[in-house]
Formats: sequence, C-alpha cells, structure tokens
Amino acid sequence: MDARIRVRLFASLADAAGAREIVLEVPPSTPVGAVWALLPEAVHRGDPPPQGVRWALNHHWSLPGAPMQDGDEVAVITPVSGG
Amino acid sequence: MNALLLTREPLDVACVLAQVASPSHGATAVFTGSTREDGGGSHAIVALSYEGYREMACGILQALADDVAARFGGVLAVHHRLGEVPVGEAALVVAVGAPHRAEAFAACRYAVERIKDEVPIWKQDVRADGTREWHDGMAAIGFGA
Repeated sequence: MDARIRVRLFASLADAAGAREIVLEVPPSTPVGAVWALLPEAVHRGDPPPQGVRWALNHHWSLPGAPMQDGDEVAVITPVSGG
Repeated sequence: MNALLLTREPLDVACVLAQVASPSHGATAVFTGSTREDGGGSHAIVALSYEGYREMACGILQALADDVAARFGGVLAVHHRLGEVPVGEAALVVAVGAPHRAEAFAACRYAVERIKDEVPIWKQDVRADGTREWHDGMAAIGFGA
C-alpha cells in the first residue's frame, strides 16, 4: 500500500504551486528528495531542486535520501529570511 | 507567555526582557530588528510580510535556547512577528540574560545570526504599488516573476 505524505510549501514555491500543502501517495521508503519531481510542474519546471533548497521530515532537518513512511510530513525549505 | 514566540501581534520589548530577568544575571543584551524604508515612490517598501513553518521553527528555537545556555550560561527569549509588519515596527526581538556582559553580547549576536540562518521564516517585501517579492533565493531563478 502506498504511503500518504503531507508536503508543506512556503514563500515563492507555495505561490508557484498555488497551495501551501499538497498530499502525495508514494511507495513506502521513497526518499524525501523524490518529492521534488512530484510537485506541480510550475514548481519543479523539469529541473532538479535549486541550490539552497533543504528538506525537513516531520519538522526536523533531513537529508534528501531519507526514506518516507505513511503519515510523514515533508517540507521544502528554501533559503530562509526571518528577522 | 512563551519565551520563544511566533506571533501576529505587535512585539513588546519590555515583555521579552522580563522573560530573561534573573537575580543571577548581571547583564542583559537585547536586539530589535525592525522593518525599514527602502526605495522610494511607488516602489517604496511599506511593510514586510512574514510566513513561518511554525511547527519546525519552535523546535529549532528551543534547541537554540538550549545551545545558548550550554555555550554562554545565558537565558534566551525570542519573539518573531508573522504576517504583515508595517515600516517602523519590530519584526524580531532577541534578549539574552547572562552573568556578565561579554557573554550576554556574544550570546545575543550568536542567537540572531543562527535565527537568520536556520529558522524557517521567510519575509516578503510589500511595496506601495502593491507588488510583492519573497526573499527566499528563488527570484534569481525566475520564481515570482
């Protein structure tokens, strides 16, 4: 059975997607970084993730190779600019 | 009130300072980051709009508070605005209480730099002509154009 993944988007990626949250269904153990190619075409544009993009899995920093499981939350973190 | 706070309400510096007050602290350092004017005419910035990944940001700020305690013996308080912040209002207040001024100054600067590098919060320019632009490194490759 596929794993249901909640993907969080922010800032210009969310604006490009027209959504701040997307639900994907992927095979279990699919790596976090594979989410990029599954985002709307307006986000990935057929290219790999831009330099500076980082990943979070369940609210913690993650490497793109980390495997996802059912119920996980993945976030695409572009360079931050708080303060 | 939580010493590590993301809020849509105006920030209160006195409140942040009170959260690091202690009889064992001989020094308190505070940093305030405010929305500033930039540009002129229709292109002038009238506000910054902040978006945050609250669930992750709170965990990172807690880890930072633990780090400040371990490195400097200091107590950290951070209040960050979300939503629209008009020019002249504070978007970030960071305070550190510590036994001595050297640790307080160093810890406050350390915390501000870590916040700006790591906490998942993004700002967006809001201009007088109604245009907006995110500061997330994506404009350079065509996002938001």
